[in-house]
Amino acid sequence: MTDLEYFKLSKPQKMLRDAGGFFARLPKGIGTGVRKLGMLIVNILKGIGANLSDLVTTFKDGDWKTRLSYLIMGFGSFARGQWGRGLLFFLFQTVFNLYMFFPNASISGCYYLGKLSTLGTIETYKEGRRTVYGDNSFFILLYGVLTLFFIAAFIYTWRVNVKQNRISEQLLKSGHKLKTTKDDLDSLRDEQFHKTMLALPTLGVTVFTILPILFMILVAFTNFDATHQPPSKLFTWVGWDNFRQLLSSDTASYGDTFRHVLLWTLIWAFFATFLNYFLGMLVAIMINKKGIRLKKMWRTILVMTIAIPQFVSLLYVSKMFAADGLINTYLMKWGWISSPLPFWTDPTWARVTIIVINVWIGIPYLMLIATGILMNIPADLYESARIDGANAFQMYKKITLPYMLFVTGPYLLTSFTGNINNFNVIYLLSQGKPLSLQLSGNAGHTDLLITWLYKMTVNDTNYKLAAVMGILVFVVTAVINLIVYNMIPSVKNEEDFQ
Amino acid sequence: MSEKKQIPEVDIVVDQEAGVIREVKPEHLRSKSGHERRVNTSVYVILVLMSVIWLAPFVFLVFQSFRSYATESGAMVAYLLPKQWSLDNYRWLLTDPSSKFLRWYGNTLIVAAFCAVLQTFMVLSVSYTLSRLRFRGRKLIMNVVLVLGMFPGFLTMITLYFLLKQLGLTQQGAVPGMILIYVASSGMGYYISKGFFDTIPKSLDESARIDGATRAQVFRMIIMPLAKPIVIYTILMAFMAPWGDYVFASYIAFGSEPNYNVAVGLYQWVNVADYQGFFTRFCAGGVLVAVPITILFLALQKYYVEGVTGGAVKG
Amino acid sequence: MKKLLAILLTAAMLLGMVSLASAEGYSGDLKIWVAEAVIDFTKEQVEAFKTAHPEYAGMNVTIEAVGEGDAASKVITDVTAAADIFGFAQDQLARLVTAGALEEVEPGNAEAVKSENDAGAVGAVTLGEKMYAYPLTSDNGYFLYYDKSVVTDPSDLQKVLDDCQAAGKSFYFEVNSGWYQTAFFFGAGCQLTFDTDSDGNLVKMNSTYASDNGVKALKAMIAMANHPAFMNGSSFSTATNPGAIVDGTWDSTAAKEAFGDNYAAAKLPAVDGWQLGGFGGFKMLGVKPQEDEAKLGACDALAAYLSSEEVQLARYNAVGWGPSNMNAQKSDAVQADVALSALADQLQYTIPQGQYPGEYWSLATGLGDDIIAKKYNDLDDAALMDVLKTFEATCEGYLSK
Repeated sequence: MTDLEYFKLSKPQKMLRDAGGFFARLPKGIGTGVRKLGMLIVNILKGIGANLSDLVTTFKDGDWKTRLSYLIMGFGSFARGQWGRGLLFFLFQTVFNLYMFFPNASISGCYYLGKLSTLGTIETYKEGRRTVYGDNSFFILLYGVLTLFFIAAFIYTWRVNVKQNRISEQLLKSGHKLKTTKDDLDSLRDEQFHKTMLALPTLGVTVFTILPILFMILVAFTNFDATHQPPSKLFTWVGWDNFRQLLSSDTASYGDTFRHVLLWTLIWAFFATFLNYFLGMLVAIMINKKGIRLKKMWRTILVMTIAIPQFVSLLYVSKMFAADGLINTYLMKWGWISSPLPFWTDPTWARVTIIVINVWIGIPYLMLIATGILMNIPADLYESARIDGANAFQMYKKITLPYMLFVTGPYLLTSFTGNINNFNVIYLLSQGKPLSLQLSGNAGHTDLLITWLYKMTVNDTNYKLAAVMGILVFVVTAVINLIVYNMIPSVKNEEDFQ
Repeated sequence: MSEKKQIPEVDIVVDQEAGVIREVKPEHLRSKSGHERRVNTSVYVILVLMSVIWLAPFVFLVFQSFRSYATESGAMVAYLLPKQWSLDNYRWLLTDPSSKFLRWYGNTLIVAAFCAVLQTFMVLSVSYTLSRLRFRGRKLIMNVVLVLGMFPGFLTMITLYFLLKQLGLTQQGAVPGMILIYVASSGMGYYISKGFFDTIPKSLDESARIDGATRAQVFRMIIMPLAKPIVIYTILMAFMAPWGDYVFASYIAFGSEPNYNVAVGLYQWVNVADYQGFFTRFCAGGVLVAVPITILFLALQKYYVEGVTGGAVKG
Repeated sequence: MKKLLAILLTAAMLLGMVSLASAEGYSGDLKIWVAEAVIDFTKEQVEAFKTAHPEYAGMNVTIEAVGEGDAASKVITDVTAAADIFGFAQDQLARLVTAGALEEVEPGNAEAVKSENDAGAVGAVTLGEKMYAYPLTSDNGYFLYYDKSVVTDPSDLQKVLDDCQAAGKSFYFEVNSGWYQTAFFFGAGCQLTFDTDSDGNLVKMNSTYASDNGVKALKAMIAMANHPAFMNGSSFSTATNPGAIVDGTWDSTAAKEAFGDNYAAAKLPAVDGWQLGGFGGFKMLGVKPQEDEAKLGACDALAAYLSSEEVQLARYNAVGWGPSNMNAQKSDAVQADVALSALADQLQYTIPQGQYPGEYWSLATGLGDDIIAKKYNDLDDAALMDVLKTFEATCEGYLSK
């Protein structure tokens, strides 16, 4: 079936086909996945083996400079005149050693590493009325992870250092010249330009994204919460307890609430994505319609919602919809309603209100995107359709829509996952309210996983559950991405259509 | 299609719009038909209605901000037009000794300005590298960024807070702290500008390389001048984002009012019960934040449109 | 970088020790968090304190606006960055103590606190045997503000509602708050308290919510929420059309502004003849644990000063907060205050607010939201009883394990 035929199917047909295809591919997919994973492990083991044997050969075949480099990093480079490289290697080793074995034992890498298995044992105590803080589990975990990072970086650098020696030796043997420090620096502007460009961003992402994420993944396996709060209290490892508390359905757990919130998150993401998408497209078509004047003005008016910071516009709009807000007051004043509409107090009303207000936020984006894409649709498609006697709606259905879906497929996917994590709209409008006795853990009917996570972090300082929640959000997002990539093969090859 | 559709006041001329909504009629009859006119009229009605809905909240906001504080208090009210117009709220925000608004505004401006420069630098470095250069680990980097992006951002708030605290960049140091946080991971948002770089023909680089230019020179002298739209887009986005950030800003600066940004400062006026009668001041503050941002945005709208459209198509 | 930091820290600690050894008083930094409304007042009082205690004159005091409602969660987020002295409402006491964020009151001061403040306030700052904070006000309760031209008889809820409706105004009551809700439950004769040990752990729940009285209270709330004049809320700045509002003294200025000449206050109304009850609440000053004994001494002295009779009275004069100090309560100005006398009238129907698990508040909000969303409108007594049974069982689940 070609993509065009696929797009000609009716909606239910399409969904059936997609779902069918997906499940048909599932066993095979799982099979492939397992096989790939197996191969990955084998490859990793092979890699380690190869590296080890290479280390041995390098040592055996190498001269004294090479051998000494096993102990003093960069020695070989130095001895062979590559002082720039040598200096870097040596500096790195010095910093690493200093960090790991700092004389003041209580702040060295080894100290944190040693405490990592218990996350601290010394309790806070009083000396007279003075407080003497004991171990700080938070920093033990944080610096423990940092130390592990550092060790991994050290092993890698050390390996590179050894490899360099071997390569240099071989080059010299075969009569080549070694690169000087100047050559090295020059190459950073040319062959190695990507290293120059990526150095800073990589450092930033490693320290401020990867390290914190790893840290929080580990927190999911501890009891770090309001009653185990450093510096006064210790926290420690608890295994899978937190996952059980969030997912199982017994009374003290959040399982039912979690499923409720997850379901609403998905419903919300669906509407927030597709409703905005179609309405935005419609608005774009209207504005771009032939004979409509003041196109730029209409666009500018709509685009205001993008320009004005959301904390201003959404906070204000949320007050407008309050039970005694502007909208209810005026509707009652005009006698259209007798009692205030429960925009924020009734669960269903609140959800619908949020979706509708989100349309207000979302249409302008989609209008802009759709405008840009509509103008790229090949004109001859419409010409031939017209010759076949198609009317406007048919042309929209058969040409415009498929084309849009086709071209913006990846955008829809990112937009869907973006909406799963759409914190601002929910938090500024409803803060997740209304709550209910049916829901536990401070979650409300309009809470998304992400706003619930936020409340857990900020209001309840329940970091352990927030961490579990974060992992689950990741899982949900990843699963959706995988499913979509499997279901719509056309997401990737947009060229086919043109 | 013989006629050239020239719509002078439009920044994007849409050639195929006739095909999008079109009647099955011969060309010469179509344009002046009654049906066409009826359709156009209803489109106008819808557009006018939409404009009202879109603008109303902002107009109301402005009305509220001009309500007299002295005679009608600063609380929320259920009527639209102020009984007495005045500049009370603005005067208080800008001149009252107990108002920290200007300080917050300044903080945000500093953060936004630094972000606009540094973040753009980061984003362009990453996107250019991933788009034009081929090296080992390129795919790996892209996949890692994809996976990292699936973790919700707020997950790591507490970790970031304590990391910054180790550097002394919380509370009193919140302003540089915010800059660091926004900039550090901004390289992950390389997608849209990578899409842009992908569209610049490779032959340009190659001919320059043959002439002996290094890759760094190619980037500086050949690509950068061509990348003006995406540079402006990135600067615009980086500059606008800090004005709306409440979550991280409030977490990093908590307890230190002089170091709040505008969002944190204004948010508490409407959502913390200690602040009685600050609603109209919130509105006035909101207007003072929104006006320059909106003007800037509208002025650079063209680049924004290029950015989002390109981003959506490229994914 | 870490290294450097460590060295700096060590240096700072050494310096700290030196200064500790050399002076009797304290002359380092000290940070205070209080509500926005009393920032200026606190600044003046700190200056007065320094004048009165020259040994602390060199102290560098910073005062930041962090409201009593927010203080606990911010303190707990990072105790080391939190203020040394902070104001908070007493429902957060246990939470702060379990997080290790409150130092016990200095024994000498504790005696004074016990003898000078009213019994409710003393009870509110005490957990088990230990006293953890300095009482600041006894006015953290609620009562009825109303517009004299709208409400003719403030003693009956139905009449208040009807009067508001007739005038096209609204009656505000924050039914989705665990704090205001107790007006109905306690008024109907129910009980909900938690026993704590000295470390702030909640060890036992005493509840009679799941009873006929509880159902009576719940039905009264449902009826109120269904009245056309009802609005959920308790804050003047977001109430757009109040005819009457159940609120506290902190809003008295806003109330006077809103009602003008028709400003009036009274104890809560009655429902079918039974008087609404509720919490009597308190605000207090806490001192966080200190590693430096000299600084702790300074904190103790300053907190004791800020909660003393004179300063409480001055605070009443400046911002209208009702004192917890018994002598201050007897002063003429306090006695004559409209809002405070309404509160005093209400006092006999309230219980001093004790400690509640943090989850209680969101649970109660859930119950209130369900009431407002009209989920219970069609339930019979038995079904309402089931709701309360669930409520009670969930509450019991919050006890410290």
